[in-house]
Amino acid sequence: MTKALRINESTEKGIIEFLKFLLEKGKVKAVFSLKKISDNGAVAYSLITDPDELKDAVPFYPLMPVNAGKLLSRFTLKEGTRKPVIAVLKPCELRGFVELLKREQGSLENLYIISSICCGVFPSKTEVDGNAEKNLSKYWDTVKKGEISPDIRSVCKACEEFIPYTADLTVDYLGNNDIDKKCLIYLNNKNGEDLAKDMKGDFSEKELDRKKIDKIKEKRLAEKKKLYDKIDSKMKGIDGLVNVFGRCIGCHGCSKVCPICYCKLCEFESPDSEYSPSNYETELRKRGGLKVPPGTIYYHLGRITHIGISCVACGQCNDVCPVEIPVADIFKKVGESIQKMFDYIPGKDLEEEIPLVTFKQEEFAEVEE
Amino acid sequence: MNKLKGALIHVKSNIGNTIIDLLEKSIDKGIFDAVIVPMKVPAGDSFVYVLVKDKSLIKDGVPLPPTMFVQGAKAVSSVTRLGEGNMKIAAVIRPCETRATIELSKFGQTNLENFTIISMDCPGVLPTSDFLKDPEKNMEIFNEAVKNWDDKKMRPVCQICDKSSMVSGDLHIGTLGAKKDTCFIISNSEKGNDIAEKLGINLKDNLDSWQTQVKKLSEEKKKKRIKAHKELKSKVEGIDNLVESFSQCINCHNCMRVCPVCFCRLCYFDSDKVKHNADDYLTRAEIKGSMRFLPDTTLFQMGRMMHMSLYCVSCGACEDACSMDIPVAQIFSMIADQTQGLFDYVSGRSLDEPVPLVAYKKEELHEMEDAND
Repeated sequence: MTKALRINESTEKGIIEFLKFLLEKGKVKAVFSLKKISDNGAVAYSLITDPDELKDAVPFYPLMPVNAGKLLSRFTLKEGTRKPVIAVLKPCELRGFVELLKREQGSLENLYIISSICCGVFPSKTEVDGNAEKNLSKYWDTVKKGEISPDIRSVCKACEEFIPYTADLTVDYLGNNDIDKKCLIYLNNKNGEDLAKDMKGDFSEKELDRKKIDKIKEKRLAEKKKLYDKIDSKMKGIDGLVNVFGRCIGCHGCSKVCPICYCKLCEFESPDSEYSPSNYETELRKRGGLKVPPGTIYYHLGRITHIGISCVACGQCNDVCPVEIPVADIFKKVGESIQKMFDYIPGKDLEEEIPLVTFKQEEFAEVEE
Repeated sequence: MNKLKGALIHVKSNIGNTIIDLLEKSIDKGIFDAVIVPMKVPAGDSFVYVLVKDKSLIKDGVPLPPTMFVQGAKAVSSVTRLGEGNMKIAAVIRPCETRATIELSKFGQTNLENFTIISMDCPGVLPTSDFLKDPEKNMEIFNEAVKNWDDKKMRPVCQICDKSSMVSGDLHIGTLGAKKDTCFIISNSEKGNDIAEKLGINLKDNLDSWQTQVKKLSEEKKKKRIKAHKELKSKVEGIDNLVESFSQCINCHNCMRVCPVCFCRLCYFDSDKVKHNADDYLTRAEIKGSMRFLPDTTLFQMGRMMHMSLYCVSCGACEDACSMDIPVAQIFSMIADQTQGLFDYVSGRSLDEPVPLVAYKKEELHEMEDAND
């Protein structure tokens, strides 16, 4: 059983009330949340210190302009925050942040996390096209029913990790029919309980409805199968790779927005990935012709090798690809297969070490065999 | 333009094939060891630059592709950045790609010693996202547009490009003002003259009809450009409008990554210089009660503008790559016209023109002195 707080407001309002309460009581000095920046549905992550500014906050708005895990890393990279801050994150953003923490790219110090049972987000194009607001009511309908919204990112539809692992508080969203009337927040640990203390509402002991969760998982799993089948049909062997990644323009936008790709200077932008005229000559003698700049597919293969183990399948890379390569779909599939080998779920547990940097004796034996 | 020399030649079926034919001949005669030319990818949904040595592969080249997936200057730079090499190479690229190549050369990012640039009158390119929706159909749309020199479907910056026939490479293929089944081969350098001679092309023909037509078109476009920039200015002028224009920027830096003249290996805005302590961010947030985090997106745009607007060739690659559909290229082309205008500089117009902020003119010192009076 977990402690839970029920606020007698709609979930949307209840969270704002709660965040306001935290700011006003001085329990936190700032709220990190999505905030509306225009009337056409454009949102941006913001650091909010004034309770009045929360009026434009939209904590669980179904958009992810940037993976917030990356932002929290930027916020706490040099040193942890000295003043308490609460961050509203989606589960994959939180997992991204945890993976970054394992790589010493941020600090959890004085940072509280509130997350939700996630319903997925629209592709950023939806915001650009001005359709985010339009699609909202349909979106919330599917959320209440625990169904998959047709408008969310492909990787969200296929996501089974919609329950946060390491949040201090979890807002009950997906599959909750009462979100218009009540706001239910699980207080997952002592931090969560301390924050919620003295908040107006009903406190109780509650447990996640496992049956409901399993049902949603089943639907997501079916979507995942469809997604993976689609990739399989397109991407067979080297020809498949060429077909899918052939139009990549090498902008590396996918790595720039990736919450796991934290290198200041990517290997594929370093002098190691530049070739001298004599390299080109040699290569031309062998092949007669080669794409310039070279190394497009090599880059993607390299990136999956570097980050596959920690890919949280947030879908950010899909959104920024100027030539619409389904990068995220492919990375989710390949990432998952790598993660399975090590029985590893990225971002699940801060204490669990990244498989590729730890060594288990039995792994050595496996290699020997 | 006066020093240009040219010849009128017969066109075989279309301009693309004429260029391919010239390249093949040049390889045969040993004028070039290899060429860089756009080609369709196996999936048929895009075009890439390919460095080709094998003559049998050149025929697959598409010298005038409907889109610009990668800015050609980047292709040239990738091959020559580390030195001139032993191969003599020709690249077939558009005028704005040529200009960017020349700018990069001024910064030591390309070595053009053994390089020949062949450009052509450019009808513009389709936005990448439009093309991807239906590559086959858009190929037809492009071919049709080329026939009538119709720019309505092209990138917004192509529609206002007044330098689409600017000759700053070695050889240029002129189609404007040429009679049916002919085109001009125009030389702009000793290298160009030499190649023409080896190919048996006599650069003695009159270029008047081409020059008249180019002048007419670029004047029309210039008017359109000024008008478009005026309209745009009213939308982005002032700090509020500026912030609003870039408000949806997600800091992916795609614009910078695809920019042919943004050549820094590590951008200032990706460096530690722009990373601050958590408490500094909080202090900033407290001043206004709330701050956008991503911080400094507008600063990035303004910083990039400061760093590269003098060299911006208005190719539109940034706008095509922007995942939030911000009209980056249009805004940058407007600013670039002004900053370059200050120095009477046109990015990539000539290899001989020094980069304004690197070159020093005595009278500029007096200007500074006067300004402080």
